[in-house]
Amino acid sequence: MLSRAVRVAIVVAMLGLVVTLALAFRRDPHDIRTGTIGKPAPAFVADRLDGGGTLSLSDYTGKVVVVNFFASWCLPCTQENPALVRVYERYRGSDVVMLGVVYQESRDSALSYVKRMGINWSAVADDDGRVALSYGVFGPPETFFIGPDGVIAGRHIGPIDETTLITGIEALRREATR
Amino acid sequence: MKTRIVIAAAFLALAAALVLAARPHEPTADERVDRITAELRCPVCQGLSVKDSPSETARQMRDLVAERVREGKSDAEIEAEFRAAYGDWVLLSPPIASWSGLVWLAPLAAIAAGLLLATARVRGGAPINVAEPSAAQVAALRERVAREEAAEG
Amino acid sequence: MSAGDLGAAALRAALFLALWGTGAAAYAAWRRDARALVSARIAAGVGFGLVVVAALSMMFALATHDFTILYVAENNARETPTLYSIIGLWAALEGSILLWTAILAGATAYVAFRGTAAIPRLATTALVVMFAMLTFFLLLITTPAADPFVRLALAPENGNGPNALLQNHPLMALHPPLLYLGYVLTSVPFAYALSSLILGEGGDRWLVATRRFALVSWALLGVGIVAGAWWSYAVLGWGGYWAWDPVENAAIMPWLTATAYLHSVMVEEKRRLLRTWNLALVIATFALTILGTFLTRSGVVNSVHSFTQSAIGPLLLGYLVTILVLSVGLLLWRSGRLRDAGAIGAPLSREAIFLFQNVVFMAAMLTVLLGTLYPLIAEAVSGAQLSIGGPYFDRVEIPLGLALLFLMGVGPQLPWHGASRATLERQFTAPLACAAAGALAAVATGTTATAAVLTYALAAFVAATVVQEFARGIRARRALHAEGALIAFANLFRRSGRRYGGYVVHLGIVLVALAIATSQARTVDAEKTLAPGETLAIAGYTVRLSALRSVHEPQRDSVVADLEITGNGSGSQLHPALVQYPSSASAVGSPGVGAGIRDDLYTILAAYDQKALSWATIRMRVIPLVSWLWLGGAVVGVGAVIAALPAPRRRIARQLPLAEAPAPAK
Repeated sequence: MLSRAVRVAIVVAMLGLVVTLALAFRRDPHDIRTGTIGKPAPAFVADRLDGGGTLSLSDYTGKVVVVNFFASWCLPCTQENPALVRVYERYRGSDVVMLGVVYQESRDSALSYVKRMGINWSAVADDDGRVALSYGVFGPPETFFIGPDGVIAGRHIGPIDETTLITGIEALRREATR
Repeated sequence: MKTRIVIAAAFLALAAALVLAARPHEPTADERVDRITAELRCPVCQGLSVKDSPSETARQMRDLVAERVREGKSDAEIEAEFRAAYGDWVLLSPPIASWSGLVWLAPLAAIAAGLLLATARVRGGAPINVAEPSAAQVAALRERVAREEAAEG
Repeated sequence: MSAGDLGAAALRAALFLALWGTGAAAYAAWRRDARALVSARIAAGVGFGLVVVAALSMMFALATHDFTILYVAENNARETPTLYSIIGLWAALEGSILLWTAILAGATAYVAFRGTAAIPRLATTALVVMFAMLTFFLLLITTPAADPFVRLALAPENGNGPNALLQNHPLMALHPPLLYLGYVLTSVPFAYALSSLILGEGGDRWLVATRRFALVSWALLGVGIVAGAWWSYAVLGWGGYWAWDPVENAAIMPWLTATAYLHSVMVEEKRRLLRTWNLALVIATFALTILGTFLTRSGVVNSVHSFTQSAIGPLLLGYLVTILVLSVGLLLWRSGRLRDAGAIGAPLSREAIFLFQNVVFMAAMLTVLLGTLYPLIAEAVSGAQLSIGGPYFDRVEIPLGLALLFLMGVGPQLPWHGASRATLERQFTAPLACAAAGALAAVATGTTATAAVLTYALAAFVAATVVQEFARGIRARRALHAEGALIAFANLFRRSGRRYGGYVVHLGIVLVALAIATSQARTVDAEKTLAPGETLAIAGYTVRLSALRSVHEPQRDSVVADLEITGNGSGSQLHPALVQYPSSASAVGSPGVGAGIRDDLYTILAAYDQKALSWATIRMRVIPLVSWLWLGGAVVGVGAVIAALPAPRRRIARQLPLAEAPAPAK
């Protein structure tokens, strides 16, 4: 005969187990949030892919910056590229800056991709992966939205579309003019 | 008496071996890198540590850790740098000093509760003293086994 | 009629038979109706045949690349070699549930024919449980979410091919079926236990009837786990064999409770104690196999082995809840009838040590369970995302493992009821001396990890107790029967297979413990980018990259590094590669492993010059004693076979009055 306490403990443990498992359905194990949102964007100085010296993120303080991690071996990157190109053209010459960061790829193969895909915004090399690691990147493509205050306001994992890009940018521009 | 001496010597030797093994030594830079990277989760793998993973990302993370170790950063500082980028997710075991550290208590609680329940059962029993079977009993048994086995063929 | 039509029809007919069988068996159990039992038996036999037909037609469809079937189109390609085509049956969710169902149908047929012939009433009720479980799985496999025979209106030219990791090593032919056999066979002891509870039997008949089943399913699970570790080592390319991945955890949990059960069962047999506990262990073992299936098949946790997110998650959860409610409810309801005959005596008795051992096994299982689920709990409670991985499990499970190793040496050496001081000295003096020698040897060879030193000490301790037991057994037989030493040794197995087979299992575990401790504590690795002709030196070995070449095969393209290894008196060639399958986005590493009894050389091609093949980054690990792990797994299997083989004359010994109830002291 089991004591009352043991019976109650067994029933509670079983209930806890089942509730946990049921709650788990709401969870997507692939959706992982990084720790960088809402914090100042990690500063970096990196070589421009086209050989035109270095680029420093701090040069763009006061502007809205879209940082896009990409690689030519990454299929979703080629999928999202047209949206990036259109959005770049739309904001050309404004206070919105787009930056590409190469993810785990040699400079020359990335450079030929940049030329082939019509990427006219600045792209930088990240040979040792330090920039990607400091932003908490899991894999390309990933896109970060940095406000004029230099704080990371948002992050998008996977191929991004035009609407998401424009929404993210406009939210930051409105904030800046307010 | 001889048995007792052997037992005492065995315990002494065991203790000596453990003390020798556990003597503190200053970790080398490589050992520190291994220790830190073993605690970090590789972002592109399935639950592997940065130390174990052969992936490019893990290799870059190992390089970064090695560089920070060379710069004289402490384990906690290096860990904090990765937590800032990847969140607590990047640690393969949750820090003890947070509410998620409760997970460390659970095994202790399970063992303690189990041992309590078990010892209650053991103590609850009436002590039975069992004598070794006498030589006569053993002889009788053996004879019976031999007889029955012979009977079976 | 195509293979797909045949399989689909067979499954639906089997579902009908399983429903029929559930009803017929229930009627037979309720009314003790012999004709209904015959009907249930026929349903079980024919149902098993139909599910086997379905499984075979899937294998046939895979082997003949019949892409009109969605499953085949997704998991097979024209280029897939025949072996990997056939074992594609368990390469993905639907097929593996089909295999599972086939094994369950076989177990049901076994209970229907052999079980009911041995103990009609108990087994007939158990048969109802088996049929009900089979019905669930057949329902599951005929819902669109898990139906392996879903057709495509338009067959593609070629299929996607199997997952790259699953067509890389022949161990895939062995590991999943072994594991599934182990999982599914736990359902037989479970069904008997439930039957015993339903019938309100207070006794141990269910346990005696399913003892061998429990042993066999435990052994299959254990060997399957080791085979899985080996596969992971040979395929995943990081030089390890265990990562506390959710699927590994799902497999180890029922194994832990099943191991606890195999020992506590002896307490019930010899002392008529722990009746409720043994029922609880059988229920827990079975429920954990279903929990593991749920965790890995529903997509709620991330794992190497988890199949894609699937709609069968809620169904499996419903099944798990039903099983828990029914079995735990029955256990609580009937626990009043399950009275133990007497109580555990001294703390230094075999039964007390088995009880403590059970506590440690349960704590080990609960820790694995909690660690696996904790990220889910944390996210549900606070939204925090955190990881529980190797460092957590190692810190908790290694001390528990060491405690188990210690108890493994102590338990079998103690008599039932209690031990006198003289017995303790007689049993433990030599093993203690060996333990000290083991610890000193570990330190002398440069081991600095405390856990490893303790493992060496305890391994020597356990091995010494086992050797001592064999030596005494042989001596006794020689004195009694005038047998030669070898004959006496063989006769120990033949006449007391369960006991001496158990010792062999313990020796296997010692090998596994040594392998784990040594490979964890003393692996060294190095990484270097080499041009052809350059070398890398590590732990006395020299690795020379002699060539880097690309290889084209119909089903894959690879880049292979040819390595020449010299040093430590050996010379060998290893060929780590990066393999690109058309179906997968990134290349899969295929390590080059030089296995040895002293250490394994594990080489990985981490990166290479994609343009001119002019350099390669080689990562090399020297992993000592890792092959002892596979060896230990095999020894455990052999020991289990010895223990499971029937020993015709064992009954005589048990009839001896003294063995049953020792004379109380005056």
